[in-house]
Amino acid sequence: MTLLRHLAAAAVLALLIVILSIKLSAFRDYQIAEIGCYVAAVAGLTMLVGLSGQISLGHGAFMAIGAYATGLMLLHLHWPLEVVLAASALAAALSGAVVGVAAARLRGPYLAGATLMLAVALPTLAIRYAGLFGGDQGLSVTINTPGFLGPTFPLTRWQAWLTCGCALITLVVLANLARSRVGRSWRATGDDEVAAALAGLNVARLRVLAFVVSAACAGLAGALLAVTTSIISPGAFTLTLSIALLTGAVLGGLGTLAGAVWGSLVLVLVPTYVTDVAASHGLSSSAGSNIPVAAYGVVLVVVMLVFPDGIQGAVRRFRQLASRVLTLRGTPRGRAPASEHQEEGST
Amino acid sequence: MSEPAALAVEPAALAVEELVAGYGGVLALRSVSISARPATITAVLGANGAGKTTLLRAISGVVRPRAGRVLVGGQDVTGHRPEDVARGGVAHVPEGQGVIAELTVAENLRLGALWRRGRTTRAEALAEAYQRFPALAGARRRAAATLSGGERQMLVIARALMARPRVLLLDEPSLGLAPKIVSQVMELTAQLRATGLTVLLVEQNARSALSIADQGIVLNLGKVVAAADAAALAADVGLRKHYLGF
Amino acid sequence: MAELGELTLGGISVGMIYAAIGLSLVLIWRATRILNYAQGGMAMLTTYIALTVVSRTGSYWAGFAVALMAGLVLGGVIERTVIRPAENKPPLNAIIVTIGLLIFLEGLAGIIYGGQFRSFPAAFSITGLHIGSAALGISANDVFVAGAVLAAAALLAAGFRYTSAGLRLRAAAFSPPVARLLGVRVGRMLTLGWALAGLIGALAGVLVSPSTFLYPNSMDSVFVLGFTAAVIGGLDSPGGAVAGGLILGVALNYVGGYLGSDLVPLFGLAALAVVLMIRPSGLFSPAPARQV
Repeated sequence: MTLLRHLAAAAVLALLIVILSIKLSAFRDYQIAEIGCYVAAVAGLTMLVGLSGQISLGHGAFMAIGAYATGLMLLHLHWPLEVVLAASALAAALSGAVVGVAAARLRGPYLAGATLMLAVALPTLAIRYAGLFGGDQGLSVTINTPGFLGPTFPLTRWQAWLTCGCALITLVVLANLARSRVGRSWRATGDDEVAAALAGLNVARLRVLAFVVSAACAGLAGALLAVTTSIISPGAFTLTLSIALLTGAVLGGLGTLAGAVWGSLVLVLVPTYVTDVAASHGLSSSAGSNIPVAAYGVVLVVVMLVFPDGIQGAVRRFRQLASRVLTLRGTPRGRAPASEHQEEGST
Repeated sequence: MSEPAALAVEPAALAVEELVAGYGGVLALRSVSISARPATITAVLGANGAGKTTLLRAISGVVRPRAGRVLVGGQDVTGHRPEDVARGGVAHVPEGQGVIAELTVAENLRLGALWRRGRTTRAEALAEAYQRFPALAGARRRAAATLSGGERQMLVIARALMARPRVLLLDEPSLGLAPKIVSQVMELTAQLRATGLTVLLVEQNARSALSIADQGIVLNLGKVVAAADAAALAADVGLRKHYLGF
Repeated sequence: MAELGELTLGGISVGMIYAAIGLSLVLIWRATRILNYAQGGMAMLTTYIALTVVSRTGSYWAGFAVALMAGLVLGGVIERTVIRPAENKPPLNAIIVTIGLLIFLEGLAGIIYGGQFRSFPAAFSITGLHIGSAALGISANDVFVAGAVLAAAALLAAGFRYTSAGLRLRAAAFSPPVARLLGVRVGRMLTLGWALAGLIGALAGVLVSPSTFLYPNSMDSVFVLGFTAAVIGGLDSPGGAVAGGLILGVALNYVGGYLGSDLVPLFGLAALAVVLMIRPSGLFSPAPARQV
């Protein structure tokens, strides 16, 4: 059963993360936690864009909603953490419904434009209503490691476990959703909207549902980011974040959950790596901080031009090639040439 | 098959040698060969899906052949880009006309000759077009989108002629047109032959096509099943019934 | 009353900048069906180049001219090298490519010029103009900004209408396969389209930088609003982009003046949302046919 297979895979990954989090330093644990947040957000986004075919340049806004909801709840309501996280995801899901309904008729660049403006405008609410949201400084929240882990359990490791655990749950849910009727319907509307409508699918409702689900994932990710970084401010949810999420989804391989993982790894690890390389070569501060930026841009361009299906696409192609080589099965061109059937229309 | 003696005399205006072409995993042309002398009309006939449109596309460069050669006036243009084949004297009028609806009639026409040097030749060509197609002259400032089907067909043929091509590829010019317009188009095509143009005419309406053609070939599933004088083809009742529908 | 007039005129001036960016985006969209997220970044880079020329030669107009030429070249080069391979891939890839390009350009500017805010000279005086003793609320420079963009848009429109290159460009944009069959070198036309868009973007950069200061991210917000203007007007309509820019500039200036500048982004979003709900493909695009 697919559910069991997904759960098994998640269990393996969980084990891997536990081991890594124990072996690696606190800073690496923090990075693992970051990666976990991104995976949750990018996974939802890649479903939205890759399956249901709707582009969003504004998912950072849903992360902000989740984060601020978490901050406000932790500060004012003192609910247990699990409830807070779930409620934040719900809050983001509701906003996703609103946006999804408003955007149901938009396509392509118009949808991109609308979500872009959302990403730019929403964080300014925090400044406008500074009393509630803390303005530019934002809100600060702290969480503690749960009692049952003992008093010496490092916070960063707990954060890594928490975020990655939630990310894995998200991945399992999304994986099952993708294989279900809903997922297939999404794919149908994404591939050919007119045909899907003619086949009886309620395209508008499916599109809104996709927004709701992906927004919930982003909201959860934002909530997790809040408890990981302990600070919730508008500066953390700029347009750059929204663009980074989309970049991660496309880079990793659109529409694939494995791609969400690859993309998140790249988003968190590559900039730090390039900065380290620059620093170790002793570059001046302005060059030093900008070379990673320029290099990151080059990486994006090159990967997109050379690997349009993203990292997961390259992995898949490599696996096909490898399996063909291993089973010694003829040329990679596969299909039999020149089938005998006529083409439709005049040729 | 090569005929060295014939080649030494005069190259065919258009020659296609064992052309193989297709889309993705499907071959639409399997080794098709044609030869057309200057100032002739060659009808390309056959049912839907036989490969007729692909043949024209492979000649004009829209589709890249997988094997074989295309020679225009003796020059090898196989696999060249469409814009280069067009500049080499081949005008392709695709099926469904292809007027650029957002441009005016005059702009569509001018577009046909833009790559030719010299504004006077272009102006002359435009004047000639208006003379030959008075209906277009009257509509010159109108957006091409406002033209009727018959007018559009005239427009695209006139536009193709603006470049003074040596070879004209016509894909289903009669599609969707009233019978009266169809005979006008056929008459026009016959007149063009008189000016020295070599025409390759793809038609479902085999009867009209054969009435003006000099020779014809019949395609079926990408292969040539018959190639002969137009008169001989029209007289072959079995062939007509089997492949041509009349 | 006087304030309304001032806000309107000021809004027109800044709206022209949005119009220029919007126009360049429409140009590229019509030609290659790609949304160039790097448009602002390209404008930023050409403005830096202009600044270098101005500080070396002491002449504003030399810098102005160099910026425009640099924009032309940069646009053409980018299309030919980076965008051409992306034109036949899924549209999302082109989005990431132009975003990557934007990030690269901003990083490059940071490396070469550093991150500090630089001041960029204005072409004319920025003190308010007066008729008699009444303040008009705009400066000579504002008039120049509006005039320059209008002139550029008019020249572009005329070029498209009356020149052979313009006809070829339009044909290549409307129907590339048909244009190819007529001997139009569609590839070159696409490069030309990007080059012209680069030129207009460079113009916008030079005109807006005196008020925003110049730094690697200085064109980001201008780009977002220019993008909004193009979407409001409809991505297929150059006139719509100009109109959209003006409407947006004036409307946002009113909001900033009467309601406070922190509400401007929210209002921009609201305006965009309203327009897109009424007419999803923009105010000036022809309404698309119902599909099912």
